[in-house]
Amino acid sequence: MTRVSKKICLLGDFAVGKTSLVRRLVYDRFDDKYISTIGVKVSRKTVAVPRVDGVVELTMMLWDLAGSEEFSRVRASYLRGAAGAVLVCDLTRPETLEGLRSYVDDLTVVSPGAQLILAANKHDLGAQRQLEQAEIEAVTASLGAPHYLTSAKTGDAVEALFRHLGRLLMT
Amino acid sequence: MDLAVAQLILEDRKIAYAITDHDLKVVETGGAAGILWDSYDGAEDGSNLGCSLPELVPELIGSEAVLVDILTGRLPRFELAWVNRETAEGATTYLTMVALPYRDRTGQIVGLIHLVEDVTDVGDLQQLLVQRRNELRLLRDQLAAKNLELATTNVELRRLDEMKSVFVSVAAHELRTPLAPILGYVEMFLDGDFGPLTDRQRERLEVMDRNVRRLLEITDNLLDVTRIEAERVELILRPADLLALVETVLAEYRPQLEAKAQRLTLHAHSDLPPVLCDDTRAAQIIGNLLSNASKYTPDGGLIEVSLALAEEQGFLQVSVADNGVGIAAEDQEKVFERFFRAESAALTQAGGTGLGLYITRSLVEMHGGRIWFESELGKGSTFHVTFLIAGRLAAAARNIPTSAAT
Repeated sequence: MTRVSKKICLLGDFAVGKTSLVRRLVYDRFDDKYISTIGVKVSRKTVAVPRVDGVVELTMMLWDLAGSEEFSRVRASYLRGAAGAVLVCDLTRPETLEGLRSYVDDLTVVSPGAQLILAANKHDLGAQRQLEQAEIEAVTASLGAPHYLTSAKTGDAVEALFRHLGRLLMT
Repeated sequence: MDLAVAQLILEDRKIAYAITDHDLKVVETGGAAGILWDSYDGAEDGSNLGCSLPELVPELIGSEAVLVDILTGRLPRFELAWVNRETAEGATTYLTMVALPYRDRTGQIVGLIHLVEDVTDVGDLQQLLVQRRNELRLLRDQLAAKNLELATTNVELRRLDEMKSVFVSVAAHELRTPLAPILGYVEMFLDGDFGPLTDRQRERLEVMDRNVRRLLEITDNLLDVTRIEAERVELILRPADLLALVETVLAEYRPQLEAKAQRLTLHAHSDLPPVLCDDTRAAQIIGNLLSNASKYTPDGGLIEVSLALAEEQGFLQVSVADNGVGIAAEDQEKVFERFFRAESAALTQAGGTGLGLYITRSLVEMHGGRIWFESELGKGSTFHVTFLIAGRLAAAARNIPTSAAT
């Protein structure tokens, strides 16, 4: 079986749930307590990706990047070499969707070919949702990225999102 | 420098290094080298000489192209700050990593030197700082959202309040219209226009007369409240003789007071300057105070009206004192609220909607004056209102004595 490693960055404003998405994917765990990430935490997840010529064992090196603006200066070095990115916004905070464009701008400077996918997270907080489907689709259409309504808390669509990104990386 | 000394410094500063060859194979490690492989899934010991640098430092997987750029001299350095690693115990350590070209004596790049420094002490503080800052940002955003929500609710409440005012206004108008002919006919009956009345008929008609007038007062109050809330009360302010106005109102209310055998006195200086007021509304203000005093004072009680210069320069003051039921201390701050009736007032069984003092205060304030009171339960109340002295006469009025009485 072919083995491939790819660097994937998780990008988005603070407290949108980037760390929780990684934790759900890698450890199948969730913690309600908000812990701010400073810098970057690298985790790995290996998935089997079917291709026409056979199955590829893809090791995703997941770079969970701090969303706080304090780290925007060092973000460029984190983004270098990224093959893909998961753009994460919080369905209860509309401004976090708008904020994604600047992360994409930073990414394309150092890794222009990176594949993008969007996680509209905290889908479990239905009553507090403030982002409409149309608003999300407008952003994803302009970025040419697919999107998923995810919940790190319940696990909804988390694996599906990363599997989709895996397929994009292997095409 | 002695190598042992260098090693000591590196260990003390928690700095590790790995040196690679041109193929990124690790050829040497040193310093606090345990840092390099103390990651959650790194090598278990220092026996990884010969493995590739990204195998030893998993954070470099995917960055091989960057490392090649350093080997070829295209990139002078590659730094990763605040790299998080989780220990087996679940604690987080923070590392700073720098990849630099490793040169031989001729200056040729022959590999990489990768430095890793454990900065957990500073990282913990930094994390705490960012954590607090982000929590504050979230709170600020939540507060802003809540404020927006409240503002929206406020707009809706105002709209509903306006609808209610319009409804009350229309309803009061519709109620008032048929009252005029009813009252007219009752008066005509009482005046004997339709022939003589028996005592029983007169008695019943007088009950009707009182109740129709009461209904008229209520509808007038409701209309006044809706006008006040819609800011549709227009005052025609003119210099007026307040004493003459007070005397007119007293004359109007005298029959009501006499019916309860209440004594009425008026104290006033004869040379008081004119005030700036709307005659009709000023009479309504004084009439309301007098009506309340009579209503909440038992039969045979005393009502004293006085008129003098106010302590506040440029104002005349009218005071209406009674020895009636008074207002309990716990009710006093609410007496000017709409629809509020003090418990002591309700006990007198005197009619009232709780709008009179609200309307009175509104009208006084529209005139630029003040209203206040002193009261003691069971002993009576004194209400004071002030009116602005008219124009140029205000200055001269400052020298008029305030203790004179008639």
